[in-house]
Amino acid sequence: MSSISAQGVVERASAELSKRINGLGLRSSKHHSSKGSVMERVTNVFCGGGNAAVTAPEKPSRLLPSRGHQTKNAPPPPVVQARKPKTLPVYLTINQLMMDETFLTKFFFYFTPCERCALALVCVKWRDVLYSLPHYWIGLVPVLQCRELRGFRPNERSRMYSQLLRRGFPSLCLMAATNEDALDLINSFPLLSTQIITLKLRCSSIGDQGLESLMDHFQKLKELELAGCNEITEQGLWQCLNSRINSLTLTDCINVADEAVGAVAQLLPELKQFHLQAYHVTDQALGYFSPKQGTHLVTLRLHSCWEITNHGVVNIVHSLPNLTELSLSGCSKITDDGVELIAENLQKLKTLDLSWCPRITDAALEYIACDLNLLEALTLDRCVHVTDIGIGYISTMLSLKSLYLRWCSQIRDFGLQHLCGMRNLHILSLAGCPLLTSNGLSSLIQLRHMKELELTNCPGASRELFDYLREHLPCCLVIE
Amino acid sequence: MPKIKLQSSDGEIFDVDVEIAKCSVTIKTMLEDLGMDDEEEEIVPLPNVNSAILRKVLQWATFHKDDPPPPEDDENKEKRTDDISSWDADFLKVDQGTLFELILAANYLDIKGLLDVTCKTVANMIKGKAPEEIRKTFNIKNDFTASEEDQVRKENECLFDIF
Repeated sequence: MSSISAQGVVERASAELSKRINGLGLRSSKHHSSKGSVMERVTNVFCGGGNAAVTAPEKPSRLLPSRGHQTKNAPPPPVVQARKPKTLPVYLTINQLMMDETFLTKFFFYFTPCERCALALVCVKWRDVLYSLPHYWIGLVPVLQCRELRGFRPNERSRMYSQLLRRGFPSLCLMAATNEDALDLINSFPLLSTQIITLKLRCSSIGDQGLESLMDHFQKLKELELAGCNEITEQGLWQCLNSRINSLTLTDCINVADEAVGAVAQLLPELKQFHLQAYHVTDQALGYFSPKQGTHLVTLRLHSCWEITNHGVVNIVHSLPNLTELSLSGCSKITDDGVELIAENLQKLKTLDLSWCPRITDAALEYIACDLNLLEALTLDRCVHVTDIGIGYISTMLSLKSLYLRWCSQIRDFGLQHLCGMRNLHILSLAGCPLLTSNGLSSLIQLRHMKELELTNCPGASRELFDYLREHLPCCLVIE
Repeated sequence: MPKIKLQSSDGEIFDVDVEIAKCSVTIKTMLEDLGMDDEEEEIVPLPNVNSAILRKVLQWATFHKDDPPPPEDDENKEKRTDDISSWDADFLKVDQGTLFELILAANYLDIKGLLDVTCKTVANMIKGKAPEEIRKTFNIKNDFTASEEDQVRKENECLFDIF
């Protein structure tokens, strides 16, 4: 038994040995090398043979280990240099590393887009690496001050546009733009036409004509914002809105009223997000939405549309059943009945903003708590009639992650006790709630999953309280 | 556990578990490339890494030897720099010269985890610094012309994080 196994061992060893010898022979013959030792081969691979010095010329002495350091088993120097490896790692100095494109490309991912702005100013190499990858700039929007741009020399202006192209920005914001600025952008940099997906025009005296030219020019445009553009008319919107647009923001544009909503409803069947702030829009305008929008429109924000009443809400819930986000912030005529309609009919809602709707009472919160089972974020800032009873209803909503109760002036410590049972709450604001005491607020440490707690302008929030909260909620950002 | 001998640039020889040495992709590739076997008691020279740095690198690799392999992260994704473990943070409480030697060794030896944590540390070091300070830190020459520099400043001053 033992002799057989000993025999087996010898056979295996012999086979293994010859395999290896063959292997070595093959490898070296392929590369015209004579019997190099492992040591030599390693040295050659690491140092790239005789040509290694090119990699770091300033320190040639470090590139080859001196003879004295080799082991006593080391054979005489190789006659022929061994093969070149496939990939030769090169040892760089810190200065070389910081100029190495491969390294820099990875290194710059350890910064935020804002931080990268400063890095682009270091040297030409850093700028070029940073500018070559649009990924580095995601989230930042170039804001061109048109008035300033007009003062640039033509070559400066064209360089400004060309770097936008080079860095692949998909969005562009023009401030104080006129019709002439729009034409200049179109004429002097036509190549941007297929790159821009999002266009924002702010505080601009641009007219219908300029807007129309831009809309024609940017062929891939999907998101449009017009803020403070008082020359744009409703007729102009009828002219230039096209069906590619899936996100539209119209705020603070003096001419925008019901007709503009009519144009949006008629011309934008793909619309997913609509953000409107216009004092004179009426309930009638909300009747213009048709089943066309009903399928796609998921986000509707109507801010400070003062004329809108519960009749307008009827129109919304009937024509836009798929809304997941609704804001009626500052639509001050909305009452509990309007909220009841919302709760009964828009059960897909995840985000609801009723801030600055001062007619809302606890009853509205009961409807919300009963029916909106998917709701994750609720904003009730300045709903001054909300009391602890309403907070009691809200506290039963297990899906709720964010709750904003800024300046809800009737909430007391008793209401806070209800909130302490909301285990899923991540963000809570009680800013400006005057009746909450330090004692009541200290019970918030029961909300272990909290990530953000805003307590600005709370008379009850003392220095000691902040220390106590920070100590017990180490993962939570407590805003003073 | 099979061992391997690594020789630093100043001639010191380190006896290391093969598995620990193989956290360096450079060494791992070497061994595979050359058909070196675990039983061959040969010396792998690392002619660019001195003994002080090699000792640090091996200390790091030994501590992290049982770490799960790093996830194949999306190369084009912003990486956090505020999540350095307390052991690594202590390990990297070294002077700037040593930190640079470590990032160079990690890059050369291709040790992903060590490169990641040294990059984070170096990134944190230069965050918030003015371009001139960054140049001084790495001995980078400002090769912009005055007008180019002005242009790049304008190009980046107009970027905002707006909705």
